[in-house]
Amino acid sequence: MFRNPEIALDEMPDTDDVQWQELDPAYKRLRRLQNSIGILAVAAPIATVTALANFPLLTAAMLWAGWLVFAAFLLVWPGISLPKRGFVLRDKDILFRKGVVWRSITAIPFNRIQHVETSSTPFDRKFDLATLKLFTAGGSSGDLKIDGLNAATAEQLRIFILEKAGASIENA
Amino acid sequence: MITKNAWQSFAPLFAFMVAYKGDLVSKLILGGGALALVVATGSVLSWLFFRYQIRGDSILIRSGVIKKKQIDIKFDRIQGVNTAQNPVYRVLGLVTVSFDTAGSSGSEGNLPVVPREFANTLRENIGAQKTERTDDTQPAKVSKALLKLDWRDMIRIGVADRRALIIVAFIGPLMERVGENSEQVIQDVLLSVNVDSHQLDVGTGALLVAGVVVVAVLLLVTFSIAAAFLRYHNFELFLDGRTLRSHGGLLTRHEHSMDLEKIQTIRLQQGVVQSWLRRHKMTARQAISGRKQRSQKMFTIPVVTAEQADTLRSLFLAPEAGRLSQEPGSDLFRPVSRYYLRSRILFAGLVPAAIMTAVLVNEAGIVGLVALTWLPLVALIAWRNWKRAGYLHDDNEIVRRSGLLGYRTVGLLFRKVQRVTITQSRYQRRKNLASLRMHMASGSVRVPYIEHEKAKQLRDYILYKVESNQQAWH
Repeated sequence: MFRNPEIALDEMPDTDDVQWQELDPAYKRLRRLQNSIGILAVAAPIATVTALANFPLLTAAMLWAGWLVFAAFLLVWPGISLPKRGFVLRDKDILFRKGVVWRSITAIPFNRIQHVETSSTPFDRKFDLATLKLFTAGGSSGDLKIDGLNAATAEQLRIFILEKAGASIENA
Repeated sequence: MITKNAWQSFAPLFAFMVAYKGDLVSKLILGGGALALVVATGSVLSWLFFRYQIRGDSILIRSGVIKKKQIDIKFDRIQGVNTAQNPVYRVLGLVTVSFDTAGSSGSEGNLPVVPREFANTLRENIGAQKTERTDDTQPAKVSKALLKLDWRDMIRIGVADRRALIIVAFIGPLMERVGENSEQVIQDVLLSVNVDSHQLDVGTGALLVAGVVVVAVLLLVTFSIAAAFLRYHNFELFLDGRTLRSHGGLLTRHEHSMDLEKIQTIRLQQGVVQSWLRRHKMTARQAISGRKQRSQKMFTIPVVTAEQADTLRSLFLAPEAGRLSQEPGSDLFRPVSRYYLRSRILFAGLVPAAIMTAVLVNEAGIVGLVALTWLPLVALIAWRNWKRAGYLHDDNEIVRRSGLLGYRTVGLLFRKVQRVTITQSRYQRRKNLASLRMHMASGSVRVPYIEHEKAKQLRDYILYKVESNQQAWH
């Protein structure tokens, strides 16, 4: 017998009172480290140019001031943006949020996941971190990337999600 | 494939041609002969090495003379079977078959030349396989004619073809120049036959230019109408059980088929010209794999009226959905928030205009005020977009409307959604608004600037629909 009971919209499970899991705090340090390498890499050409080209003092000062602002931003930004990121694992889906100015929350039901991938760069491994990628159908726009997870957490998540995805396919 | 092989063997041929000493005619004859020989040999070779085999539930295609290639396509992965038949093939009763599959991005299966009956049995086999797999209680297959386009529709397609407009936009200025030149030429001619050139005043010149432009536009329209005849002549649409099938074309006959279950989104588009004609273009999109070949995974119905479109969509989405109307003029569409308009004017209009004006006035003086025209332009576009934006939904499906000059409506089933994202900018947070993006296997659909509560409700409902549903999304 086919039944189609009506569901009231306000009885639906909502996502307001969920416990957001934060990323590994080591990720903040890693991002700061990576950014400082970038800052130094930019400083080198500025130093050579100002030394060789014999700029007036004001121009050189402005260049360095710009560099300082840039450096300060890159060092402070991970502290602002990374705490805004987080994920929630629920029984039937995973939620991921991010963004400071433009905030977004993405939800992927497990029964739409095609495959799961974990990866880690040499930097990541140094800090015991990993990136988890979830692929759904629909080309390259259909991926969710969660970086800065603890390596063990990422592996657990991978296995858990794969199991869930597999179970939903078997039930179908 | 055959031509590609031939092209690869061109290089030594050219080298030989350059090296060979002789007069031009013998060179050409020799070159032509060699080319024909190479093409013929190439064709025969690739024909000799082309093998295909139908197995229980898959088709195996082997090809390649030097570089061997082997593709094994499972029937249940095939989303659609398309055939094309050019005039020569039609006389010989042959067709070219190609398969749409979900998965591989580049190499899809392709049978260059097979008998027509074979293609039909193949299509039936694949269809039968699927019916067996999905449902045993399927009613007997009935081929039902849904739509037939006549010559008037061909003219509508041709006139509404956007490509023609783009060409006009590009060569419009060019045409003017040609007009000016021809004016000069005519003046010269008139002078040479001793007619007083003062008769040819400005009015006549303008008339001449206008005439040239009108002729050019007429020519273009004629071309696109001819193209419409070539592509869609005698276009017919059928429903075989749960498989949609169309065929049409004047010289080369194209035949497309697609399973109704594979439809991800249904799109109804109406450009300016189409809105004068009260017609729409309808496309049903399947899952895409790569960025390439997006157009191939679409089932296109080039011209329909709004009523036809709604009948068709309710048929496509039956029995679970299809009660909504995708007619853009429908007053059931709920508008998106007015703040959509305000934020566009503020952030894309006012702020850049102010900065540009400040910079330009500083640099170029009073002329810099020209930059202020940016604001009304952005405001106008934003207002059009806002007027056209809208959405409507029921328990199973949602339709979103958008557009600038024309209209576009996209309909989708909640249960086929892959992921949902809610995005809020700072401005939206202050106004308690959000944008909802539904990612489908065929691309994403965004509903901008709706109340945050509504967006969350829809998101939670979509998740419920997807997670409680056991049916395949593809």
